[in-house]
Amino acid sequence: MFTVFIDQFWQLTISGIALGFIYVLIALGYTMVYGVLRMINFANSEIFMWGTFGAIVASRDLFRYNQTTEPATGGKLALVLFIQLFAAMAFAAVVSVIVELAAYRRLRARGTNRLATLISAIGMSMVLSETMRLMTDSRPVGSPRILEKVILTEVWGAQIRLDTLITIVAAGAIFIILERFVKLSRMGKAIRAVSMNEDAAKLMGINLNRVITVTFLVGGLATGAAGFFYVTVYEYTKFNIGFTMGLAAFTAAVVGGIGNIRGAFFGGVFLGLAEVYASAILGTQWKAVTIFIVLVLVLLFKPNGLFGEAVQQTRA
Amino acid sequence: MNKKIKASAAIVAAFALSLGAFAATSASAATKTYTLAYQGPLSGGEASTGIDEQNGVKYAIKVFEAANPGYKINLVSVDDEGDPAVASKVAPGVGTNRKIIGLVGPAYSGATIASLPYYKAGNLTVISPSATRVSLTDPKSATVKSDYGRPIFHRVVATDDKQGPALAKFAIKGLTAPKVFVFDDQSSYAVPLRGYVEAALKKIVGASIVGSGDSVPNTTTDFSPTIAKIKTAGATVVIYTGYYSQAAVFIKQLRDSGSTAVFAGGDGVFNQEFAKLAGKSGENARLTGVAGLSDVDPKLEADFKAKMGVSSGVYAVESIDAANIFLSGILNGKTTRAAINKWVKSYSGKGLGGTSLKFNQHGDISEGGFAGFLVTGGKLVNQGAVV
Repeated sequence: MFTVFIDQFWQLTISGIALGFIYVLIALGYTMVYGVLRMINFANSEIFMWGTFGAIVASRDLFRYNQTTEPATGGKLALVLFIQLFAAMAFAAVVSVIVELAAYRRLRARGTNRLATLISAIGMSMVLSETMRLMTDSRPVGSPRILEKVILTEVWGAQIRLDTLITIVAAGAIFIILERFVKLSRMGKAIRAVSMNEDAAKLMGINLNRVITVTFLVGGLATGAAGFFYVTVYEYTKFNIGFTMGLAAFTAAVVGGIGNIRGAFFGGVFLGLAEVYASAILGTQWKAVTIFIVLVLVLLFKPNGLFGEAVQQTRA
Repeated sequence: MNKKIKASAAIVAAFALSLGAFAATSASAATKTYTLAYQGPLSGGEASTGIDEQNGVKYAIKVFEAANPGYKINLVSVDDEGDPAVASKVAPGVGTNRKIIGLVGPAYSGATIASLPYYKAGNLTVISPSATRVSLTDPKSATVKSDYGRPIFHRVVATDDKQGPALAKFAIKGLTAPKVFVFDDQSSYAVPLRGYVEAALKKIVGASIVGSGDSVPNTTTDFSPTIAKIKTAGATVVIYTGYYSQAAVFIKQLRDSGSTAVFAGGDGVFNQEFAKLAGKSGENARLTGVAGLSDVDPKLEADFKAKMGVSSGVYAVESIDAANIFLSGILNGKTTRAAINKWVKSYSGKGLGGTSLKFNQHGDISEGGFAGFLVTGGKLVNQGAVV
C-alpha cells in the first residue's frame, strides 16, 4: 500500500506542489472576493475555465499552432508563453469583472441579502459553463504543444520537468506580486480596509464600488493565470473542468482560512499534496473521499481554517 | 448542477427532434413514412463514436430509400453524450414517442442501462452496435434486474468476456515476460472489462499483473499518481479500460514522464479521435476494436464516401447491420413496435462482414469477435482478428 508512496515520494511531491500552485491561484480568486464581500463567488471556477480557453485561443488562433506543429523554442517560446499567459489572465479578468457588474453590483445596489447574491453566483456559474458548452459542442479541446516537456534533471529519483518548474516558479511569482499588491499598494490598503469594516471604509472616503471591481479584477487575473498553467501542463480543457478544479480550490481556500491570502497559499499546496498522496496510497478512487474527510476534520478543530481569517469579522 | 442543466437541454433537444419527426411524417401522404432512432454520444467528449455510428445508420437508410422508392425513413437523433445521467433524462421521451418503431443504439453500456427501463416500458426494440457490457444479455448477472435487457435489447457486437481475453493477448503480443498494469475509468463498461482482462492475463503463461492497478474517475486530468504506480510496479505494458478522450490525456502524461511502456486500450479507446488528440504520444498504441467498412469491402467504403461525403468511422459495419435489420422489417410490413420486436427476435441473415446475424433468446449473436489495431502514423491500422 505504501510502496508507491515511499518509492515515488519526491516525484509525487513535485507533482503535488505543481498542482497545488494551480489551486493556490484559483483559491486566491475565491478568497479575495470573500474578504471584501463576505460572499463565495461560485462563478470563479468557470472564470478559471474561461481562462484556459483564453490560453488556447492565443496559441491556436493567434500563433496558428496545431496538434502537429513542432513545439516552439528560444525567444519564440518565451513570447508565445507570455502572450498565452497574458491572454488567459485578460480573458478571466474581463469575465470576472463582467460577472461582478452584471450579476452582483445591481443586487448590492438594491440592498438584497447575501443569499440572493450567492444564488446569483451559482446562476452565473451555470451561464458561463453552458455558454462554453454550446460554443465547443461539449467537446474537449486539446491544446497544441508549445513547450517541449524536457526532463531537466533528476533529484532523488524525481524528474524535474520544464513545465513543472515553470509552473512552480511563475505561479509562485504571480502569487507574491498579488500578495504584495494587496499588502502595500494604496488600492490594496483600500481593499483591506473594506474587508475590515465596510462602513468605516466608506466614511474614510473609499469608493466602495471601485474597490470591489478591482478585487474582482485581481481575483480574475490570478484565476486566469491558473488557467494558463493548467493548459501548459495538461494540454487539454473542456467546458466542465471548472467544477472539479473550482471545488478543490475552494476547499483549499477554506482549509487555509477563507479571506486570508496566505492561507490560500498553504491551503492550495496542502490540497495538491493531499490529492496526490491519497491517490498514490489508497488509489485514485479514494481521492475525493480523503480530501473531504480532511476538510471536515480541519473545520471540526479549526472552524476558521488552519490560518483563520486575517481579520476577525467585525460585522454582525 | 452542470449535469442537470445539460440533461434538461438534452430533453428539450429530444423533444424538438421528436416534433420535427412528427411534422415530417404528416407532411407526405403518398410515400410510406416510418421513424427510426439512433442513440449515442452526439456531443461531448465521446461524440466522435456516436457521429460515426449515426453516419452508418444514415447510410443504410439512404441505400434503402434508393432501392425502395415509396418509402421514407425519418431518423431521430438521440444524444446521450455517452453519459448514463444524460441518457436517463432523454430516454423517457424516446420511450413514449410511439412514432419511433426501432432504435439503433445506445452506443455505450452505461447509457444503455440507464435507458432500458423506459424502452422496456414502451416495448421499443433496440439493437446496439457497440454496447459490450456482458450483463446486458446475461440473465445470471448480479445486477440482472437493472441490466438484463430482454426482451427489447439486442446487439450485433461481441461481448466483453470475449474482448477481455483479446485485449490481454493483443496488448502483450510479441513481448517476453510482460509485466502488465491495468486500470479503469470507473464506468459501467470499464470496470467489468478490466475484470475480464485481468482474468485472461492470469491464464497466460509468462505474463504477470503488477501493481494494484487503479480506478480513475473520468474527470481526472492529473494522472501523476497513476504514473507513479506504473513506475513503481516496473510495468512494461499498461492497459486502460475506458474511453478515448481520457486515454489521450493519460498517454501524453505517461510519455512525458519518460515511460516507454506499451499502451493498450479496449474498444472505448478505439477511435480515430484518440490518435488525433494524443498526437505523437499515441503512436504504437494497441487497441481492440472491430473491422471497419474498408476492411470488409473497399467498394462499399467508396460508395459510403460518395453518398455521405465523409469516410466511414468506427462501428460502421455494426451500425449498418443493425439499421438493416429494422429496415428489412419495415419492408416486410412490420411497422409497429410489437411487430418489429417479433421480427428482430426471429431475424436470420448475414451482416456486411459475413457474420451470421441471428439473436439468441438473450439478444446476443453467436459470432463476432475483436480485431487488434495499431496506431501508426496517426491512423488506426487493422492487424487482423486476435485469436
